[in-house]
Amino acid sequence: MKIIKKLALGLGVAAAAQMAQAADSGFDLKTVDPEADRIALQNYFKSRFPQAEVSDYVNGIYAVDADSREQWEELEEFPPYEFAVEEGEVLFNTPFANGKGYADCFENGGVGIRQNYPYWSKEEGTVKTLEMEINECREANGEKPLKWAKGDIAKISAYMAWTSRDKEINIEIPADDPRAKAAYLDGKKFFYAKRGQLNLSCANCHVQGSNIRIRADLPSPQLGHTSHFPVFRSKWGELGTLHRRYKGCHKDSRSKPLSHQVEVYRNLEYFQSYMNNGLVINGPGARK
Amino acid sequence: MKKVIAITAALALAPTFAAAESFQEAFEMNRAMHGKNHVFEWNGNKYNTNHEEEVEAAVKATKANALDLIAKAKAKNKEAAEVGFEWKLTGGIIKDAEKAVEAGEYRKALDLAAQAKYHSRMGIQQHAYAQKHWHLSVPQ
Amino acid sequence: MRKLTTSICAAGLLAMVTAAPVVADGHEDKLALGKAVYLNKSRGNCISCHAINDPDATQAGNQGPPMISMKMRFPDKRMLRAQIWDATKNNPLTIMPPLGKNWILSEEEIDAVVEYVYQF
Repeated sequence: MKIIKKLALGLGVAAAAQMAQAADSGFDLKTVDPEADRIALQNYFKSRFPQAEVSDYVNGIYAVDADSREQWEELEEFPPYEFAVEEGEVLFNTPFANGKGYADCFENGGVGIRQNYPYWSKEEGTVKTLEMEINECREANGEKPLKWAKGDIAKISAYMAWTSRDKEINIEIPADDPRAKAAYLDGKKFFYAKRGQLNLSCANCHVQGSNIRIRADLPSPQLGHTSHFPVFRSKWGELGTLHRRYKGCHKDSRSKPLSHQVEVYRNLEYFQSYMNNGLVINGPGARK
Repeated sequence: MKKVIAITAALALAPTFAAAESFQEAFEMNRAMHGKNHVFEWNGNKYNTNHEEEVEAAVKATKANALDLIAKAKAKNKEAAEVGFEWKLTGGIIKDAEKAVEAGEYRKALDLAAQAKYHSRMGIQQHAYAQKHWHLSVPQ
Repeated sequence: MRKLTTSICAAGLLAMVTAAPVVADGHEDKLALGKAVYLNKSRGNCISCHAINDPDATQAGNQGPPMISMKMRFPDKRMLRAQIWDATKNNPLTIMPPLGKNWILSEEEIDAVVEYVYQF
């Protein structure tokens, strides 16, 4: 424990030094420093909720609110996503008409790779998400793409997350392609900009407003977002993808939501996932 | 964080140091305090607190006028969508305005079109503001 | 509060005497509209962030301050109106939506919700 504390302190000092140097900027392509952003966000939540362990933020609001954690732990005793993971495994292993399968499209046969998504593709000049590659795999093998929000795609993604549980999230922003950093910056900007008729940024609820009641609901801290997707939401009564959640959140600001997998949502996923580097995959998850 | 507070404080104090408040600020403060149809003075002239869209809607309630304002609202909303800041309800309000025209309720159509156009204009303004100020909410 | 009730009663009596009950009804209607705006999710939804001492306002959130001592906090009612109309004027980062500036509520609804919260 002492070692961890010392390490954290060391990181804190390093962060302070970096921030001092980048204090006036960090908001354009020249000065944005993802690693400094990540450490600053962790430090923000450390000071907001000193009792919570950083590693526990993958559990969302349950990392910082003891009351709802109890209910959630009861829920997790018989996880509502269990069948979906099993169905996802069957779907994953069912060959396409041409005899090939998902395993042929992914590294390591698609097992234990969730932590590397989304990633920057230099060839395509864009951020690639796991769901995107599931559908690309289908199309490359002569199958129709799946619908994005829920159903089979969420189940397959859930199974792939399941095989990656406890692996450290490892999002890379390749230094040799400035477009990667631009995508990160675009996602960061989306997260912090106020939008919609209600003039809300993601940060309004999930940074400054996290763990403060909106009616009876407690918004989750942004640190740890994405680690547990796809998610079984009690509100949905089923499994849904991250972009389904993005659309819902976007709409809650009274904006007209964008389509699944549009560039800016993928960039947002890239930014948010980078913030979680060092935390572990725990998808699929269960939430209210 | 301190930095953010300092910037915010500077923003809040700015009008005090400025030689005079801008028309926009004067308009908004008067509308905020008094609502519609309030007359206020700015730089020696008199103005009222109705927005430009409410003024546009204050024409004779005819089909042609209603359709004209609906077309303007649609164009504005398209502009908002192009910068990614279309609001959720605007499209529906425009549809309601079109239904009102079909029902011969031209006054209602004009008022709805005015609201839709206003929402679109504010979305565009919100986008411009976000470009400049989004970084203020990033924790430091 | 009692003082206010008394004065409303007095106003009511006066209204009846002068055979213009519309005035008294008008105020009651305004308060009822203000309350509906305060509680209704698709209108003001103020309750999502602000607690208020009204028995019908259950499960209020606490993102913003509770609605207490409103007359002391806003001796000038028009400043309360301005705060509801656009809270970003005083704090650009606030989570509170600009209810007037973004035409979330109509000006009449804002007047009504001002009257409603000003009782507390």
